[in-house]
Amino acid sequence: MTSDGDRLARLVLSKVFEPGDARVAELVTHLGAEALLTSLRDQQDVAGLLTDASERLAAADDAQRDLDRAARLGIRWVVPGDPEWPSSLDDLDAAETLDRTGGAPLGVWVRGSVRLSELAAPVAIVGARSATTYGEAAAAELAAEVTRAGSAVVSGAAYGIDQAAHRGALAARGPTIAVLACGADRVYPAAHRELLAHLAEHGAIVAEVGLGCAPMRQRFLSRNRLIAALARGTVVVEAAARSGAINTAGWTVRLGRPLMAVPGPLSSATSEGTHQLIRDGAATLVTRGEHVLEAVAPMGEHTTEPVRGADRPRDLLPSREQRLLEAVPVAHPAPVESIARTAGIGVEEAQQLLWSLARRRWVEQLPRGWRLADGAGPQ
Amino acid sequence: MPFATTHTVSLAGAVGHVIDVQADVSPGQVATVLVGRPDAALNESRDRCRMAILNSGLDWPATRRTTILLSPADLPKRGTHYDLAIAVAVLGATRWVPAEALRGVLFIGELTLAGGLRSVPGVLPMVLAASQRGFRHVVLPEPQAHEASMVPGMEVLGMRSLAQVVAELRGELVPEAPPVAAMSSSRLLSWRGAERLDDVDLADLAGMEDTRYAVEVAAAGGHHLLLSGPKGSGKTSIAERIPGILPDLTREESIELTAVHSLAGALEPGDGLMTRPPFAAPHHDASTASLVGGGSGTVRPGEISRAHCGVLLLDEFPLFRADVINALRQPLESGDISVARAEESVVLPARSIVVLAANPCPCGDFHADASIDRCKCREVQRRDYRRKVTGPITDRIDITRHLAAPTPTAGRDPLAVRESSATVRARVTAARERQAERYAGEGWRLNGHAPGPALSSLWPLTPAGSELVDDQLWKGRLTRRGVTRVHRLAWTVADLGGTDRPGTREVEVALRLRSGDPLLSSTLRRVS
Repeated sequence: MTSDGDRLARLVLSKVFEPGDARVAELVTHLGAEALLTSLRDQQDVAGLLTDASERLAAADDAQRDLDRAARLGIRWVVPGDPEWPSSLDDLDAAETLDRTGGAPLGVWVRGSVRLSELAAPVAIVGARSATTYGEAAAAELAAEVTRAGSAVVSGAAYGIDQAAHRGALAARGPTIAVLACGADRVYPAAHRELLAHLAEHGAIVAEVGLGCAPMRQRFLSRNRLIAALARGTVVVEAAARSGAINTAGWTVRLGRPLMAVPGPLSSATSEGTHQLIRDGAATLVTRGEHVLEAVAPMGEHTTEPVRGADRPRDLLPSREQRLLEAVPVAHPAPVESIARTAGIGVEEAQQLLWSLARRRWVEQLPRGWRLADGAGPQ
Repeated sequence: MPFATTHTVSLAGAVGHVIDVQADVSPGQVATVLVGRPDAALNESRDRCRMAILNSGLDWPATRRTTILLSPADLPKRGTHYDLAIAVAVLGATRWVPAEALRGVLFIGELTLAGGLRSVPGVLPMVLAASQRGFRHVVLPEPQAHEASMVPGMEVLGMRSLAQVVAELRGELVPEAPPVAAMSSSRLLSWRGAERLDDVDLADLAGMEDTRYAVEVAAAGGHHLLLSGPKGSGKTSIAERIPGILPDLTREESIELTAVHSLAGALEPGDGLMTRPPFAAPHHDASTASLVGGGSGTVRPGEISRAHCGVLLLDEFPLFRADVINALRQPLESGDISVARAEESVVLPARSIVVLAANPCPCGDFHADASIDRCKCREVQRRDYRRKVTGPITDRIDITRHLAAPTPTAGRDPLAVRESSATVRARVTAARERQAERYAGEGWRLNGHAPGPALSSLWPLTPAGSELVDDQLWKGRLTRRGVTRVHRLAWTVADLGGTDRPGTREVEVALRLRSGDPLLSSTLRRVS
């Protein structure tokens, strides 16, 4: 279905333009990648793109060499129409752009054993690079729980929450995907060499920019839209008020997918962003993997029992009996009249209820009156 | 002149006083009088000495009045180690041994009726005290010669019987005598505990990065630590690995610790100086006396002194009796413990890293997350328990950490930190070296012991760091005592990080360590 010409044209265009250029995505949708590339090569200034493209266009002609080099590194170039292409990325074409960033990627570079088309209900778990050990533990637990239920985890490869989410998923032997802002062959940050090696072996590494490309600020922002788009829903674990994770949250909302946030301690600066998302009503509060699964699963597949305290036996009694029991003293016995007065129940009825309760060992009768039986006291 | 003087040492805690034992044998009503505030055990010494002398084939002055004075006379004296000094003084007064042979010699040992010597506890601190007073010769029971010879510059003579001592003093051929038994000790009962800790290593624990960092700081700066968390969250496991990340004791520390163990009678004859930091974990049924020291007769050092320069773990500490917990206040603050008796007050060293471990409730199964809470305690029990956790003791604790219930995730995480104790110990040692250099000539060795005023005048935080601390003080999140503790912690964080002066980054970490807030992941990321 995908022609080699389209594949290569998309590759060249991805090298010529910065990732997430909404104008390019739109033109490719309408004209096709090959047609757009041909026009540009013919020096036609399509939609004002030529100025941006002219410097790089000349140097970007060796697409086949890139493919050969990627193949040697075990990296594949996946474009729309390929069996591996995750259709969830196509939703980006319909999503509103942000600062002229948007649109589905021209293609993605993928390294690793996991195939993007086979991810079941992927969940993005993102958060601050400067996280706390609380947030890291929460991210790892959520990741472990959702992957154990069959979901995949999607995140970046940064310090803090990103790496914790991957490690949680790896610990649960679940699929996990890192989307990089640099080339899929690069190790960034350098301290994550081992993590990336694990991801390449047991998960997948995804990048929109070509091999060898450096991570730049703008590329992190466009990368965030891929994290949001690859996943069925996004969980923000810890984030400052303005941060990459909040940016990813924004893309999740634009895509109309469920956004979730993990609460932190009240005074924690690292949870300000997540608390804001919850306050704004943008995100659902989640504390457990099952909450996340409920949000991302098809309707009704995962439902969570609401947490409630265990019923005390006393709560199951009829209300008149409960009311009477409240009036029965714990230690010093009281006569039925005094109990009836305290409970606001007639003496006759109080007497009947006390006998009935005594048969079920709730109360006991002593020479001087009634009191609670052992074990029936306040819990 | 029927008169002779010998020397021995009286111990009050770990403080020793040289005692002159003077014997006078002269005409008068026949009797043996012992003066100078002896206790009951010491008073019986007269009979032991008399029989030991007679049974050694020597003469006891049976027809004259024997007066023995222990001076200084106003110092109360207890114990049985005076026997040898008293017997030799009497023999000196009766000219069995030459008086000049007694000059500058210290005598320590209990006598049997047959004239044999018996081992006594506390030899090392006695000899240390005498050495500081200029004594260079000591005569004591043979099994304890090794212990005494740990004191530099001391010439030690280990003997088996009174007859041997007399022969030696007279310059005669020393006769044979049956060997002296070593002191019975508690080692046989506790050996498993002691050996077991040799095999534990931090590498056994996966994850727990937050707590790992906290114990590293505690070890580096000598800070007390509170670990709270549900049953099985690893509080004990990590606490018993702290001695393993402490460096070997300095010579000074070794001698202090060995002296304390000598007082407790817990030294084996073959043991040299104790060079590794000790670990003690008394049960929560422990009495005040067993924890801080005391007992009838001689004061025996408590667990807190036996853990001097090491780690004292109080597991489930809210279950300890209230008076026991209160007794800990002083050692937590000052690093020593004074045990007040009827007539004296005894000071023992007690400078350990105290680790308090607490469950969230008496049964240990409480969890704030209702879905995994299996607590069976009543609310009122939980309240009581928590009240003990936040008492006056916890205000004296530098570091608070809340451990999470264990999950399988950390154990299976392929990238979990599994640093070995040796790796961490290297960093702790380096941090302690920086402190030793900074505090050279001061009365303390570690940040955890540095007095607040000295820190703020001589080793202040950076202005920005101070501002951060002030800010917390104004917001009411920090007490005055807390300010000093944060200052100390900030220095330890700086020493571990190789920073010259603690600034905002170090203060931020210190505030989190103190308040129990989770650490930032950037704190744990190490430059490799």
